[in-house]
Amino acid sequence: MDVAINALPFLWEGLLVTLHVSALVVVIALAIGLVLGLGLTYGPRWIYWPIRLYSDILRGIPVPVLIFAVYYLLPVIGWNIDGFTAAVSALAAFETARVLEVTRGAIQSIHPGQTDAGQAIGLTFSQRMIYVIFPQALRRFLPPWINSVVDTVKGSSLVSFVSIVELTLAIQQVIGRTFEPMPLYILGMAIYFAINFTLSTASRRLEARFAYIRE
Amino acid sequence: MTTQARRDFLKLGGLATGIAAVGAVAGTVLTAQKAAAQAKSDSQLRTVLDRGKLIVGTGSTNPPWHFEDDKGQLTGMDIAMARILAKGLFDDVKKVEFVKQEANQRIPNIATGKVDIVIQFMTVSPARAQLVAFSRPYYVEGAALMTSPKGKWKKYAELKAAGKQVRASVLQNVDADTLVHNALPDAQVLQLDSQANTFQALDAGRADVAVVDASTVKWLAKRNPDKYVDAGYAYEAQLYSAAMRQGDQDWLHWVNTCFDVAMHGHQPEIYTAAFEEFFGEKPPEQKPGFPVI
Repeated sequence: MDVAINALPFLWEGLLVTLHVSALVVVIALAIGLVLGLGLTYGPRWIYWPIRLYSDILRGIPVPVLIFAVYYLLPVIGWNIDGFTAAVSALAAFETARVLEVTRGAIQSIHPGQTDAGQAIGLTFSQRMIYVIFPQALRRFLPPWINSVVDTVKGSSLVSFVSIVELTLAIQQVIGRTFEPMPLYILGMAIYFAINFTLSTASRRLEARFAYIRE
Repeated sequence: MTTQARRDFLKLGGLATGIAAVGAVAGTVLTAQKAAAQAKSDSQLRTVLDRGKLIVGTGSTNPPWHFEDDKGQLTGMDIAMARILAKGLFDDVKKVEFVKQEANQRIPNIATGKVDIVIQFMTVSPARAQLVAFSRPYYVEGAALMTSPKGKWKKYAELKAAGKQVRASVLQNVDADTLVHNALPDAQVLQLDSQANTFQALDAGRADVAVVDASTVKWLAKRNPDKYVDAGYAYEAQLYSAAMRQGDQDWLHWVNTCFDVAMHGHQPEIYTAAFEEFFGEKPPEQKPGFPVI
């Protein structure tokens, strides 16, 4: 137990890196993923196919491979970015593909009759989106998106592959010094659980907040 | 050549010799940065000197080679070797930036120029030498056996006699089975994914012996005599070297020279102190006289 308590100051910086990486990835992926998801759902063919291709390729590549590719292949073409930028870019690119599919799924799950009804009462495309489709899609978007956010927090440990000391590597460093793996693994589990339990609780509140929206 | 021409040539030769002599004297007071002019413009030696700090790829989870001390500062034998280079480059052991990397990043980080040099208990092998340029070795590592004071068998002879009853934990790799069986031919092999879990298996009673680096056994058995016992058998010697990009003779030659001076020459302070601290013994003393390097 003493080992775990003494380790806390060393894990703090790693925890901050984990939170920093996770927040950046979630925000970037949400912003770009929403736009691409809309493009995939309503865009013309010349927009649809590149987005479809992007999504299928990115979701089909294991994230560690993606991180190594960004970190080591870009220098070959003369673009030598640092480890943090490379890792965040790779994770955000992957997460963007997931967000855009969640967005597409949420929108397409709304019955087409809703759109027809909106057209019948003379609503424009933007009005149909803002007043009819988006509010309902939001309710369906939230649960899978929060799921992906939780996965992002856990997946952020992969940034250690490119020399970034995040929570998991910080734990490994203390184990390397103390040779006491069990208390530190338990502490690591507790910290990740605390972060993700907070997120899950927040997501349930959000879902409850939008529960009044019905088709 | 006419006599006059020869005289002129000799005069020039004399002049050149004079310049060289002055240069030699001046050379003794040249700063390291000025000396950079002597390295080829595309050499890493010149890049490092111009930058004003050395970038070293290393790990942070494996004592006594590279790990964080109680204050969170990187330390270990690999770190000492990096400090030796920083001292040689800038006369300042602190002018070094460490990139904490995984073992599988060692060669890619050199190939893509992410680091100037890798100093991370890297075993020299002919296959690896096709990909990177190795420095002269700075340590001879080996495999060794570590047991628990609570275990049934503590010393090598007892383990060997116990035959197939013995369970040996070892770090996962393609040669792990062979490594264990070269010392304990009948032992059961338990391959695990990290060095820490190899020891954890011993602590938890899942293994009777851990097969790990000889330096690690020395380090752990000395610091935790109530938990670990050195079974007294080290084997399979292997060389540890620093690794650099291939095709840069100036950089490679400089690193070798610097290591030579620190290990066998007149500036042994950092190497000797680190060797004593991390391996608990003094390195062989270098005596003046016939060179045995």
